[in-house]
Amino acid sequence: MTLPLALLRQLVLLAAITVAVFLLIRIMPGDVVDSLALEGSLDEEAVTALRADLGLDADVPTQFRIWAGRAIQGDLGMSLRFNRPVAEMVTASLPTTLRLSALALGFGLVLGIGLATAAALWPRWLLPAAVEALNLWSIALPTFCVGLAAILLFSVWLHWLPVIGQSLAPVVILGIDIAGQIAKPLHEDLKEAATASHIRTARAKGLSPARIVLRHLLPNALTTVVALSGLILAGLIGGALTMEVLFGLPGLGTLAYQGISGRDYPVIQAVVLVFAIGVVAVNGLTDLAQRALDPRLRR
Amino acid sequence: MSGAALVIAPTRRAGPGLGFMLGVAILGLTLLVAVFGPSLVAADPLMQQITLRNTPPDALHWLGRDHLGRDVLARLVAGTRISLAAAFGATLLALGVGAGLGLIAEALGRWPALLVFGVFDMVRAMPSILLALTLMVALGIGMGPLVLALGIAFAPHMAVVARAAWRREAASGYVAAARVMGASPVATLFRHVVPNIAGALVTQAAIIMPRAITTESVLSFFGLGVAPETPSWGRMIAGATRFAEAAPHAVAAPVVALCVVTLGFALVGDRLRLALDPLREQRR
Repeated sequence: MTLPLALLRQLVLLAAITVAVFLLIRIMPGDVVDSLALEGSLDEEAVTALRADLGLDADVPTQFRIWAGRAIQGDLGMSLRFNRPVAEMVTASLPTTLRLSALALGFGLVLGIGLATAAALWPRWLLPAAVEALNLWSIALPTFCVGLAAILLFSVWLHWLPVIGQSLAPVVILGIDIAGQIAKPLHEDLKEAATASHIRTARAKGLSPARIVLRHLLPNALTTVVALSGLILAGLIGGALTMEVLFGLPGLGTLAYQGISGRDYPVIQAVVLVFAIGVVAVNGLTDLAQRALDPRLRR
Repeated sequence: MSGAALVIAPTRRAGPGLGFMLGVAILGLTLLVAVFGPSLVAADPLMQQITLRNTPPDALHWLGRDHLGRDVLARLVAGTRISLAAAFGATLLALGVGAGLGLIAEALGRWPALLVFGVFDMVRAMPSILLALTLMVALGIGMGPLVLALGIAFAPHMAVVARAAWRREAASGYVAAARVMGASPVATLFRHVVPNIAGALVTQAAIIMPRAITTESVLSFFGLGVAPETPSWGRMIAGATRFAEAAPHAVAAPVVALCVVTLGFALVGDRLRLALDPLREQRR
């Protein structure tokens, strides 16, 4: 696929998600305002006002035009529960999620790439088994479960540290998950690449194994890591959703949790939209990075 | 450094390993619990005894009671059936929608395939947890919406595997032979191709199933999923987490069950991939 076409597809995806997110609060029988009114928290006047405020009194295409126009200007509406602009709540939550994701990603990449490289260098040691074990760990143990287990173990039973409210445990748990996902494919890639002729040449001219791995093998194997970015991102978004709520971090996941439990639809819309933009951005960047790293894709 | 060498590790040995046997044992046992368990456990999973809330395990109630005084073992067993049924339903739906629609589109030709996979590839870019969550918000809670949301969220992953398997098969002689004999593309698909790619689809189902179980838990944790009073593993976790200090056993039981089952699927799935889908291994 050519570059413009690939980027166009990402934009179509974003547009489709925007429409889907818009339809989210209109697909239900009745509408949001009805379901809120059923809970008894709104009187007649408030119902009409809220419906006008959400733009639910116009026809659907008009509604979409108004909503999308506002959204592009950064106006995501008002929270139904907190009486604050949703955009403000999102910007307040975003740094926590980005920090958690960046730390987990950094830790995961260092651990995963380090272990895979070490296993390729010293294949007779326990390291290849460690790669397998780490891989099985991340396939078999969902981060959600590990997070709950960590809370039980460290907080409830051992009383070691206040696990709630700090991000060490989430970063380690998500990082190990990422490392387990990239270490095995990377290790297999490194093993396969080790038989390539340019590596044989490098070995024949007497380069040390460490130098061969660092200078000749790893740069080529990086495409594998980039290709796995979709998987890693899914893990990070799932992680933000679950870890933040479990460990009480005030990020986008916690915001989504509050939005869902309070039936605060503008908030849910905003969080889904922000995550979707993140996915589209990462996919686009992945595509560019792959083309930069692998000239064969540029044809 | 001097001892380091670039050696190709020996290829994996064939035959059922210890891990596979363990996985089969776990899944077999889980299935037995799901089918026969609810009739073997005397306690009612829904009965609340508020005065006995959060009591630790004893001789009569092996896993104790939760924050509403309900028997944790009874709920765990009832939840096994519900969580497994939801995940199985979702996997079947993903198989039907993803593989079914994807394969028919591929068989019908270039344009239907482009259209269907244009959508699937786009949807697949979204993490399935995010998709399922969004769908559940729109569809509301309950078993039906849960299966629907999970099925749709995982369908694109099934479709991609089906497409790869179809393309492999479409290049082989028997598909061309069937075409020359005048068989319709869809008839060829179901009579000849599907039996040949069933292994790849089953392998993918074994990957999706545990993810569906986990996603159900996460959705329940967010207040979505099955109805709040229904004892699924996710609802048990969601309800008990707030009382983890007072009743850690009520959280630990479903969490351990969830971990053990996903481990079982991982152990079996890994071997299935080698046994049923050898071509995928060769392509690497």
